[in-house]
Amino acid sequence: MLRALFHILIFPGLLFLFVFGFLAEYADRKLYARFQNRVGPPWFQPIADFIKLISKEEIIPEEADSLVFKLMPIFALIASSVAILYIPILGERAVYAFNGDVIVVLYLLTIPTFTYFLGGWYSRSVYSMIGAVRSLTQLFAYEVPLFLCILASAMLADTWSISGIAAFYSRHLGYWFCNIIGFGVALVSLLGKLEKVPFDIPEAETEIVAGSFTEYNGRPLAFFRMSFNIEMITGASLLSAVFLPFGLNLHPAAVFLCYILQIFFIIAAISFLRALFARLRLDQMINLCWKYLAPLAFLQVLFNLILKVVLPR
Amino acid sequence: MNEEAIKQELINKFPYLQEAITIKRKGRIFAQVPADKFDAVFAYAVKEMRFAALSAITGLDRGDGVFEVIYHLNQEGRILLNLCVGLEKDKLAVNTVTAYCPSADIYERELEDLLGIKVNGLAAGYRYPLTDDWPQGEYPLRKDWKGNLASKEVPDA
Amino acid sequence: MHDSGDVKIPIGPQHPALKEPESFLISLRGEKITASSVRLGYNHRGIEKACEARTYTQDIYLIERVCGICSHSHSTCFVQAVEEIAGLDIPARAKYLRTLIAELERIHSHLLWLGVAGHEIGFDTLLMYTWRDREVVMDILAALTGNRVNYGINTIGGVRRDINAKQKEEVLKAMDILETQTKYYIDLAQNETTLLKRLQGVGVLSHDDAQRLGAVGPTGRASGIDRDTRKDDPYAAYGELDFKVISVNNNDVYGRTLVRLGELMESFNLVRQVIRKLPEGAISVKAPRKIPAGQAVSRYEAPRGEDLHFVRSNGTDKPDRVKVRAPTLANIQSVSKMLEDRYLADMPIVVAAIDPCFSCTDRMVALRDTQNRKKNTVPWETIRLKGIKWYKDKGVDFASLNKKLSASF
Repeated sequence: MLRALFHILIFPGLLFLFVFGFLAEYADRKLYARFQNRVGPPWFQPIADFIKLISKEEIIPEEADSLVFKLMPIFALIASSVAILYIPILGERAVYAFNGDVIVVLYLLTIPTFTYFLGGWYSRSVYSMIGAVRSLTQLFAYEVPLFLCILASAMLADTWSISGIAAFYSRHLGYWFCNIIGFGVALVSLLGKLEKVPFDIPEAETEIVAGSFTEYNGRPLAFFRMSFNIEMITGASLLSAVFLPFGLNLHPAAVFLCYILQIFFIIAAISFLRALFARLRLDQMINLCWKYLAPLAFLQVLFNLILKVVLPR
Repeated sequence: MNEEAIKQELINKFPYLQEAITIKRKGRIFAQVPADKFDAVFAYAVKEMRFAALSAITGLDRGDGVFEVIYHLNQEGRILLNLCVGLEKDKLAVNTVTAYCPSADIYERELEDLLGIKVNGLAAGYRYPLTDDWPQGEYPLRKDWKGNLASKEVPDA
Repeated sequence: MHDSGDVKIPIGPQHPALKEPESFLISLRGEKITASSVRLGYNHRGIEKACEARTYTQDIYLIERVCGICSHSHSTCFVQAVEEIAGLDIPARAKYLRTLIAELERIHSHLLWLGVAGHEIGFDTLLMYTWRDREVVMDILAALTGNRVNYGINTIGGVRRDINAKQKEEVLKAMDILETQTKYYIDLAQNETTLLKRLQGVGVLSHDDAQRLGAVGPTGRASGIDRDTRKDDPYAAYGELDFKVISVNNNDVYGRTLVRLGELMESFNLVRQVIRKLPEGAISVKAPRKIPAGQAVSRYEAPRGEDLHFVRSNGTDKPDRVKVRAPTLANIQSVSKMLEDRYLADMPIVVAAIDPCFSCTDRMVALRDTQNRKKNTVPWETIRLKGIKWYKDKGVDFASLNKKLSASF
């Protein structure tokens, strides 16, 4: 019981996620700034932003549904926090693992997008409603490639548990190479899930002010922003566990270091892509996902299927 | 076509403009057109003489009871033909030229708002540049408008 | 024009896409714009009327503040009109110095536009890079004139400040740096996929439409109208300088980008020519305080297009009428046409592509009840209700908006 509480609240639960979330946000913003020839924020900026938002007055529009408005950020936070319990961080095995937890994790990671939609829709402001709809439309575009790539990886590993996948690949390091296409596609889809440029269409500042979050302020906004960070950590952890199975059998400290390095590698890739591209239009993004990402993901699935049949067990 | 040729062509077509056209310098022709003949001269300049681009419309209050509206037309950017029409204060109206130059729309709204010159045939639309609750009958660019609204209604907010 | 089945949403007057207040009412069907209407006038400050109450010299500084980005354009245009009425022949060195500042202003304005365009399409990296490079030209302008904007370099009869050899060196060095950077941006504009996707085919204005609606400047030149006041109606030193008019036939925002990038390269050349050919001599002639009666129309190629000033004098030291027609006023009428049948996501970049400067465009007076002297503070609730009523009269009903939006999705 105490152990469970420790895992939920401290590691790899809320405290770890909060601290690591702040660090990740700092890394992302600093890298983004350096790519743009700017100085960037100091290390405590994310913490300062969070504290400032928490201490601000909460203004809920009269037309908005007050309960939904306040609950959605908390749901987003909880969903992405729970997901981390099933993703292996220290070694091959996550805190809780069972066959089928890859589906649970993927589902939990979809919930934040639904909260963005519901929060925006029930804010009842023109811009937030348009942003909310864009969130969902975008969801249908990037979810499929992401699911397929993770599926491909799971197929080759012959298990539906993320811990099982991590264990399989760390034992058969050569197979990591087979999933390289999947890794690329999953990284781009992760950009979509995290709603970062070039896929930050639901939050296009110059078109719809702030999209779903236009009416958000004070504590709900602080929690939404926290949930962005945690989603980034959880998403990166998922990708790292499934596609980057390195250093899982070493001494625990070394394992943790490897994990941190892998996460930062993924965050650096995200920041790099963010600085590199302009924002796509919604129709262009859907085109891109269905014309290029989804076929590539299908290719990966096919490839892994053939491999499974051909290679000895 | 140079300035002299343009002047000659206008005089040939509209003999009453004989004394009314001055060539200020290279590229600048000023023509004073009587109010009742203005539409014909404008149509001719735009359609036949290829002064198809309307750069601006200036309205002004001469201060002596006569208002002037100057249409700055240009021919492929090189020569400016300024058609100047004088209006008596009690007959402040012109016809819209948007049929020939759609871009005249916003300049004509400016005439209506700032000087109170009625433009006949102007399509319905927003006023420009004054606010929607600007009091009626106040025309800021008129010489007698000093901005003192002692007894007039000031819009709230 | 606005179909009752569509949802009408306001973009502006306050909106992150717009750098200055203007109100667009867009009719949306899903993500597609079906109709749009523009309402201007928010930046009206009463400058034309104010000019009539001030002397010509005071007016130079007033006219300069019509706009921050193209301040030199307006001040030079005005001063040229007054000098024409007074029959002043300004020294050649003054003409060249005006041209130098004019081209430096064009450089800074186009680099600013590049950054703004990048920001509008979500490409913040481009914004940061171009505005970093723009600092080079801003530093030069500050060194030459003492100010980053609103240079105050013109006076009736010439210019106020001269340039020394060391400053000339610095200008030439700056041009070299900027030319390298601009070549990089041209390369970017031609090869970067996401940029091309967002800019090509967006904000289309055909050649005929552009001509009909009177588009000027880079907006017109991107649609094949190769009008440039510097070539057609030379002023200052442009008659003696060698440069090309950049015009393309793309008819879209991408074309406008290419035109502005091309103009940047031409500006670097022009600055180098000016520095090389700068004649010796005085920088101004004495101008009379009372300008004889007369009128003049002065035209200038501002970074945004043709700027036209009409000045009429009546023999006193104050002008009788000053009329300013800024280029954005000519271009704004084509925005409604460009937005037809486009996506909402394209709206910011289409508006930004005409390089709008609404401060140049509107110039109005405000009303104050000085007689009663009562403090007219308006409570928050009154303003809120007034805003709701204003929009209701325009057809935007926020209360039923969400029902309409849910129906249209």
